[in-house]
Amino acid sequence: MTGFLGPLDAQGRVLPQQQTRVSAFLISIHGALARQFAFTLPLKLETAWQTETNAQFYREAEIVSLLVRATAWVPDFALGYMAMIWETAWIPTPIEGIDDRSLAQAVHLATLAHAVHAGIRPAALLPVEASAADPFATALRRIEFESSRLLQAQILFLRGPDLVPFRDAVSGALERRHRDVRQLWHDTLASAGIAFANNAEP
Amino acid sequence: MPFLHHGSYRIRYELDGPADAPAYVLVNGLTQYSELWAGYRDALLARSFRVATFDLLGQGASSKPALFINQDDQVLALHRLIGELGDGPIFLSGISFGGMIALRYAIEHGERLSGLVPMSCFAELTPQLLLIGNALRTGLILGGTGYLQDLLLPMNLSDQWLQPLLGQFESVKRQGWLVNDLYALQNLMDSFLDFQPLTPRLSSIAVPTMILNGELDFLTPRSLHETLRLEIPDSALVIIPRAYHAFTLEKGALAADLLARFAEDVLAGSWRGNKAIWIAPEEPGGELTAFPADYDHLRAIPVRRTVT
Repeated sequence: MTGFLGPLDAQGRVLPQQQTRVSAFLISIHGALARQFAFTLPLKLETAWQTETNAQFYREAEIVSLLVRATAWVPDFALGYMAMIWETAWIPTPIEGIDDRSLAQAVHLATLAHAVHAGIRPAALLPVEASAADPFATALRRIEFESSRLLQAQILFLRGPDLVPFRDAVSGALERRHRDVRQLWHDTLASAGIAFANNAEP
Repeated sequence: MPFLHHGSYRIRYELDGPADAPAYVLVNGLTQYSELWAGYRDALLARSFRVATFDLLGQGASSKPALFINQDDQVLALHRLIGELGDGPIFLSGISFGGMIALRYAIEHGERLSGLVPMSCFAELTPQLLLIGNALRTGLILGGTGYLQDLLLPMNLSDQWLQPLLGQFESVKRQGWLVNDLYALQNLMDSFLDFQPLTPRLSSIAVPTMILNGELDFLTPRSLHETLRLEIPDSALVIIPRAYHAFTLEKGALAADLLARFAEDVLAGSWRGNKAIWIAPEEPGGELTAFPADYDHLRAIPVRRTVT
């Protein structure tokens, strides 16, 4: 196993089995973010920051749409079980130290989105030989690029003045989210024959 | 691959050379990772030094705190690493961001050091440096790590270094792009939001200090190194000819030779800082030349120093 997708086919494309496994995970997590942003998005925007929620929702939906269309799907019978684990992991959980339910929900969503946009780097899986003409490879690059932009809203919110009284709780929840998302991502990649270096943080 | 632990964080480090040898500890710049010191490790080991390199918090294989990186934690992590090195002589050197961390260490724990070598370094954020830093941060956010590298490489390296690599520029950037995560780089940059100038505390650095500055460094120009020279009592400024900010990459053999010679001089008791200004040789092993005494080393054209 290596730290990159591959071996590639003769045209430099990622094999369909790996495309399917990686895309299924990314659709699960970005789809969960799209759903959760949709639930927080009012029909009529009333505050300035809700414009960002609108942007986040549509960018997440775009990522899902992109992956659905760019992936060379093949049947993968392990996905049912794996998807159940993934979807369970994205369900909001109480944030210790934050009793206000709406604030806790916002922190949950922001920490999950931060963990995904910061910690999941799909383009870094591509070997140098990956074909620039492969839509799947291009999709991974685009997702990583968009993620770094989307991340900025999570950074602003999580560092913002509203959460200063809850800084320890937020930092703890965020580090846990990073660890959990990273673990699921590494497990998924390992199941597709992609190993992380032995220095990768657990 | 060994790790140190600092609270819930882990620090990846590498330590080579005999345990009883004088040690060099090398601190990375902002976008670097410890493997970039490999040439220094080889050169310094050959000169009978022990060499410690590590990834700062937020870099490479060390922990990448998710939301904030505190520069105090970087100094504490460095302190943990130096604590692993026993009681022998320790020489500390750092480049750019790492040089600033090394300065802070020397201010707070100078008694543990035998010598200090800040390279392409700064003790305060001048308006130019602040605004360039802000622009680089915006570039990182809008364009990603690759765009930040696109900005930094031509700013910090010479045409002579870049020319043969133009056809393989992406491969030059790739390892740094792979090991450094955008959010972690952003956190490292944001650790300057509450930065306090070190200048008022520089005079407390009592150890021999060799300040290295590239002749053509416009990211951290001569004036920033001049502050170090004027404030650190036992210091000397060495100007690296034809070098830019990242001379540690471009002129590694020369820089490693200067590091070794400085430590050898200190250990032999022959180092005299005298706040002198020197010009480094073009090649390793060459002679250092005193900067002409009556010319102004802060100017880029030959202007006589104003008598004060």
